Amino acid sequence: MKLIHYTIRNLSFPLLIIMTIWAAAFYILILHEIDDETNDSLQNYKGIIIKQFLTDSTMRQSRPDIMTRYHIHEIQASEANLANDIFYDSSKYIDIEMEYEPIRVLRTNFMTSDAKYYELTIETSTLEKEDLIETIFISIIALYIVLVICILFVTRYVFGKSFKPLYTILDWLNKFRLDKPIKPLENETVVEEFDILNKAIMDASDRSTSLYGQQRQFLENVSHELQTPLAVSINKLELLSENPDCTEEQLSDIASIHRVLNGIVKTNKSLLLLSRIENKQFADTKNVSINEISDRSINEFNEIYEDKQIRLNFVQKGILRCTMNESLAGILIKNLLKNAYIHNRQNGEINITITDNSFTIENSSNYPELNREKLFNRFEKQTGNKKSTGLGLAIIKSIISIYDIRIHYQYNGKHQFILTFR
Amino acid sequence: MKLLVVEDEDSLRDTIIRSLEKERYVVEYAADYHEALLKINDYDYDCVVLDIMLPGGSGLSLLEELKTLRKKESVIIISAKDSIEDKVTGLDLGADDYLTKPFHLAELHARIKSIIRRKQQEGEMNIALSNITVYPDRHVVYIDNKEITLNRKEFDLLYYFVTNPNRLISKSALAESIWGDYIDQADSYDFIYSQVKNLRKKIKTAGAMPEIKAVYGFGYKMIIDE
Repeated sequence: MKLIHYTIRNLSFPLLIIMTIWAAAFYILILHEIDDETNDSLQNYKGIIIKQFLTDSTMRQSRPDIMTRYHIHEIQASEANLANDIFYDSSKYIDIEMEYEPIRVLRTNFMTSDAKYYELTIETSTLEKEDLIETIFISIIALYIVLVICILFVTRYVFGKSFKPLYTILDWLNKFRLDKPIKPLENETVVEEFDILNKAIMDASDRSTSLYGQQRQFLENVSHELQTPLAVSINKLELLSENPDCTEEQLSDIASIHRVLNGIVKTNKSLLLLSRIENKQFADTKNVSINEISDRSINEFNEIYEDKQIRLNFVQKGILRCTMNESLAGILIKNLLKNAYIHNRQNGEINITITDNSFTIENSSNYPELNREKLFNRFEKQTGNKKSTGLGLAIIKSIISIYDIRIHYQYNGKHQFILTFR
Repeated sequence: MKLLVVEDEDSLRDTIIRSLEKERYVVEYAADYHEALLKINDYDYDCVVLDIMLPGGSGLSLLEELKTLRKKESVIIISAKDSIEDKVTGLDLGADDYLTKPFHLAELHARIKSIIRRKQQEGEMNIALSNITVYPDRHVVYIDNKEITLNRKEFDLLYYFVTNPNRLISKSALAESIWGDYIDQADSYDFIYSQVKNLRKKIKTAGAMPEIKAVYGFGYKMIIDE
C-alpha cells in the first residue's frame, strides 16, 4: 500500500465519523430551531386571539383557513390548566387538497373576567417546514460529499507537494548500486527533516560503498594469498612428477597429494564464489533463457557421467526466461544438475521439467529424504559423498536469494528440487 | 624462443622458469614492476608471462607500456584474480590469453605454444608431432597424411597431448582443459579414462608413432622416440 493511500484511508475514517456526527447535529439543531420558530409564532397568535376574544366575546369561535385555524370552546373550571401551553404535531384532512397535511397544534386554556374557562386550539400548517427539512437534508448531504472530496483532493495535493523530497530519495535509493559509482543526491529542500535524511543517506551510502570496496579488496587478497602458495605447490609437484628418477610408488604419492591440493583449490574457489555472490559482484544482468542453459549443460554432464548409465528426461513445457547474471544462471543450473548426477545411483533416472515460470529437477538416489532445515548450510554433507564439497546447495541458495527465485525441496521416492521464478 | 616471466613470488617464478627451460626456451625473468619495465624497454621477447599484482605497479600498466612502445610481444596474464572484469580488462589491453592461478604447468605450455604458433604462422596453423598433424582451427587430425575421425573430446585430449609431448599430464589438468574450471574434475576422471582409452586405440590403429602411456594414479604421457 502506498503512503498516500494509507494516509487517505486513515484520514477518511475519522473524517467520516466526524462529518456524520456534525451533519446529524446540524440537522437536529435546525429542526429544533424550526419547531421553536413555529411555537413562537403560534404563541404570538395565541396572544392576539385571546386579546381579541377578551375585548370582543362575540368574535367567531373558530376560523377555518388553510394556513392557520383556531377554535375556542368553553370548558369546565376543573378541566382547566392555565399554567401550560401544549404543543404537538398532528395532521388534518384538508378538503381542498383532498389529503392529510401536517400541522402543528397549540392547545391552551384561558379564563375570561367573568370566570369562564375556555380552551383555545390553534393549528398551523407545517407544509413549509417539511419542504425546508427536505432542502436542508439534501444540502447537508451534498455539502458533506463535496467537503469530503475537497478534503481528500487537498490532502493529496498537499501530500504530493510536501513529500516530493521523500520520493526523490526513494528513487535515488532504487538506482543506488554498491558496485557502481554514487551519483550525487540532488534533493534541495527547505524541510529540516528531509535535509537530515538526505545527509544521513549520503553518509550511509558512502560508508557502505567504502566497506564494500574494502571487503572486495579483502576477498581479492585472500584469493591471492591462498591461490599463489597453492599454485606453487601444485606446480612443484608437477615438476617433480616429470623427474624420470621417480619410482611408481613415489608417483602414486605425488598423485594423491596433487589430488588433495586440487580439492583445496576447488573448495577455495567455491568459497570465493559464494562471497562474491553475497557481495553482489555479479551485477551485470541480461535476459537469459534457462531452457538453452539447461540444454547445453545436460549434454556436458551426460558425457561426464556416461558410466553411470543414467536415463534423463528433459521436458520443456514452456520457455523460461529470467533477467539475471549469465554466469550465475549457468552456475545455478549446473549445480543442480551436478547434484542430480553425483547423488544418483547406477542406472538411475533424472527428470527435468521446465515451464514458463518454474524449473523442476528430480533424481533417483540411494540416499533417504534430506533434512530440509540444514539442506542449504555450508559444508553440510548429508549424503556423505566424498566427491561433494558441501558448498553446492549453499551457492544455489545465495544465487536465488539475489533474484527472488524460490526453491522448494520435496521427497517422493525421488529427490525433487523446484525453482519458482517470479 | 625468448620468454620473459614477470612474477614476484620467488618459488612460483622459479618453478615456471624450470619448467619452461625444459622446453628449450630462453627464459628471463623480472621480480617487480620496475625490473620488468626496464627489460621490456631494452629487449625483445617472443612471449611475456605476466602477473598482474606486482610490487611497484600493476601488470596492466606494463601491458599499456608495451602498447605505447609498439612492441609485438605476445602476453599471457597469470593472475590470482578470477573475475570476468579483470579478464576482459586484460584482454582489452592487448593480452593474448589469461590464466587464473593456480594453473597446471601443462596448461601454461599449451597456451604459450598456441600463442607462439599463431604469431609465427600466418594463415592456417597446424601442429605436427612425428607423423601426427593437428589442425586446431578446423578440428581435424592427420596421421601419415590420412585423416582420422575423432569426437570433440578426443580431439581436445589429443591436442593437449601433442602440445605437451613427453610431459606427464595430470588427470585434473586434462579434465580442466576439456571442461573448463567449473565442472568438478574429480567426477570426470572416469570419463577421461575411457576417452583416453578410445583415443589411444584410434591413433594406434592409424599407425601413429607417438604413444600415450598411462602413469599409475597420476595421469598420462605422450611419448615420442627420438
